[in-house]
Amino acid sequence: MTIEICWLDDLAKAQETARKVNKPILLDFYNPQ
Amino acid sequence: MGAVTYPDERVAKFLSLNFVPVQLQSSHTAMMQKFAVSWTPTLIVLDADGREHYRAVGFFTPEDMIATFMAAKGRWALDTDQLAEARALFEEVISCYPDKDAAAEALFFLGVAKYKLSHDPKPLRETYDQLKARFPQSMWTKQADHYRLIDK
Repeated sequence: MTIEICWLDDLAKAQETARKVNKPILLDFYNPQ
Repeated sequence: MGAVTYPDERVAKFLSLNFVPVQLQSSHTAMMQKFAVSWTPTLIVLDADGREHYRAVGFFTPEDMIATFMAAKGRWALDTDQLAEARALFEEVISCYPDKDAAAEALFFLGVAKYKLSHDPKPLRETYDQLKARFPQSMWTKQADHYRLIDK
């Protein structure tokens, strides 16, 4: 089974999750082109 | 990154287990400005309060991605006073990726983590000696230079 990264697009939600699971956030600014 | 590095199963597993991953397009100008981002890809490690602990600009191979962001997670752990976790992460980078640039950074901060855990300055001197022997050209070796004044 292939593992895919489940990217969030909401930083506030990510901060809430990071607090619950005690993990850092990896914020990736990217250009889709 | 989206074509090679992120689809790599080792990277996907590492990032999924160790981070809360967030992607924002460069068209998100308000967030680009908020984080003072002027080029992509820019990767920033934040804590739950939104404080920045690490930043990198540019592309990474899968192995460099894992080594670099394992060390970056160590920086987060160190900054948030999770010293045992920081030490374990830095040791893992040094052990699993000894030839990567991130190993020099991990060696530098392993000395810091050990010092903070023990309040004994000797690990800082050991850090300098190991950096000088293994990574003589690294900026981390230059930045550890003053530790050579500590007695062995």
